[in-house]
Amino acid sequence: MTLTVTPDTYNFVAFDTAYTTRIAEHMAAQLGLDDIDVLIAINENSSLTRIEVEVTDSLITIAPHSGALEDTRRPRQQSELNTTITMARGMLRARDRLRGGFAEAPADEALSLPQAAIWDTYIMGRIAHMDIEVNKQAWVYNFRNRHGFSDAADAVFEQVWNSPTATWAELNALSASTVSVTA
Amino acid sequence: MADPTKPRASFAPWDRRELPGSFSVEETARRVGNYKWAETKLFEVLGGWIATVPELDIKLRLGTHCYKHAWHAELWHKRLPELREMNPARLTVPANDALVRFIDAMTEPEDASLTIEKLVGVYRVYIPHFISAYTYHLNNTSEITDMPTIRSLKFILQDEFEDWRDGEMLIQSLLETPEHVDRAAAHQAKLEKLMLEAGGIAGHGSIGINTQAPQGALS
Amino acid sequence: MPVEELARDERFNQITQADRMADGRNALIGDSEKSRRSNRLTPARPDASEAARALMHGIFVGEIQALEGAGRTCWDFTTGEEAPFELKLDMARQAWDEARHVEISLKLSDWMGSEIGQYAENTVLFQAACSNDPVLRLAGVNRALEGLAIDVFTTMKEFGEIAGDPYLEFCEDWMLADEVTHVKMGSDWLRKITENDPERRKKALEFQGIVDKMFSYGGSRSDSEESSFAIARRFRELAGFTEDENDHIADLGMQALNERKAQLREKQAAAAN
Repeated sequence: MTLTVTPDTYNFVAFDTAYTTRIAEHMAAQLGLDDIDVLIAINENSSLTRIEVEVTDSLITIAPHSGALEDTRRPRQQSELNTTITMARGMLRARDRLRGGFAEAPADEALSLPQAAIWDTYIMGRIAHMDIEVNKQAWVYNFRNRHGFSDAADAVFEQVWNSPTATWAELNALSASTVSVTA
Repeated sequence: MADPTKPRASFAPWDRRELPGSFSVEETARRVGNYKWAETKLFEVLGGWIATVPELDIKLRLGTHCYKHAWHAELWHKRLPELREMNPARLTVPANDALVRFIDAMTEPEDASLTIEKLVGVYRVYIPHFISAYTYHLNNTSEITDMPTIRSLKFILQDEFEDWRDGEMLIQSLLETPEHVDRAAAHQAKLEKLMLEAGGIAGHGSIGINTQAPQGALS
Repeated sequence: MPVEELARDERFNQITQADRMADGRNALIGDSEKSRRSNRLTPARPDASEAARALMHGIFVGEIQALEGAGRTCWDFTTGEEAPFELKLDMARQAWDEARHVEISLKLSDWMGSEIGQYAENTVLFQAACSNDPVLRLAGVNRALEGLAIDVFTTMKEFGEIAGDPYLEFCEDWMLADEVTHVKMGSDWLRKITENDPERRKKALEFQGIVDKMFSYGGSRSDSEESSFAIARRFRELAGFTEDENDHIADLGMQALNERKAQLREKQAAAAN
């Protein structure tokens, strides 16, 4: 397995490729993805926090925008925690697609906002249960923005957050029923 | 049905207000001018300290209190023309030079590390003296002729008591070591001695006791 | 008071406008002309929650600086000689209002899931309040800064409305009401103090223009869909801004947006070579 991080050097941010590589390799091992090639292609031209993921049978490509690895308190500096979380998010999404019962999930750009939010909740819940520091309330808020501000939506959030396993069909159905209840 | 022409007592049996009061119009105007000056100095320094205090909860509380004391100054400002002072600025003066020295000492802490001193000066010295001066005035002025002053005093005293409590709780939350306690006590003592020289917010006689020593005795 | 001396606890990290301008990265969501995606801060943006959180933190630190600025104006000038007593009363009132806005922002930040100091604090707002002339402070803070606040709060209010957030719309509307008062205070005092001093009034309006331009940096506020905030014309009119003034702000915004895009294209092209 090869794990590659690009670029080697940066013009606009003070990121360290070797540092990012160590974090990514550790996360890949933790998530059982050390048997497939991984490419982390950081987009330093954008300060957004987006993470784009593409998977094939032989390659996982994770393309985070630089804002996803950034220390928001010290702009353009790298954050260990945010780098860790970004690697985890990208790799969990990839693993879900490859091996986690998400083969039928639409491509990232085709996901609706509620679908993206419930999948993010599933991912972030698992990250939180890995004892990585996560701001749960931020993800509650994100879920509510897509599924409504209601007790019903909050209950679904908790259920998904605490699920160690789920399939796309299950999450999609939960999301659809929550949105329709709170509409 | 009650007879509308039947005479009634002008003052109901439960209305026990007395006519005489301790202060003439001029004396009342003098005190009110002193109060306005003193409240103005207070709101100015509270406003100025907001940016110099790192503790976020204290920063916010100073902002709220700044307004309350500004409003007190405004109430006094509006009262002065009603006491025959058509130029409020003329009576908006410190009671004496000693009170100016007190204000200089109270407002002197500026550094971000001196929140204890800033709060002690206001909430353990200055505001308690407002409470005592206002209470004395409230209890001694004519309940009939000087009702407008009484009304303002009651509103203002409510704020002063609340602010005193807020400030005291903030001070207690900051005192974490014996050294902090010593700092608070030392600053309070220093300022109380200056206030003793001044005699109070309205000078000697602020609370009806003449604290002015014979000339030369306070040097 | 120099901006470097603003007192903060260890959670805060301050940056300057110069730091922000030195960032060569793009904050636009792709090429919005091609993708037809708007950069407006609405729930329809894929990164809406994160963007709203970051903005709420920006509002929070902005309100702290507005509170500090109003408080300093009570202290920095001699009553009567340099600043009328009644002006100081209005500044004290504004300090109270801003303290409440900080409290509201703190509660909303908890609600939205951000922490105090999570984002860097840009000190440009306090810098607008640092003039030695109280009239310039009014122009910079009460007209330019509070005008920006009207635009930002209107965007957040609409965000809350569309998302169905029960607290966000409610809170932003209350803050908006206060900001209209602050702008009016600024307009009224500016007019009163400079009634017989056209030169001073001219200087104040020029300073307001400089501050407006500073706050338009990066084009985050304009009539274009590529900007995060729109110009809240209706509320601005309520606050006393004229149509000409609002058009001028809109023009500044478009200019700033185009300048920033050109600047970024240049920086990124240079980096690619």
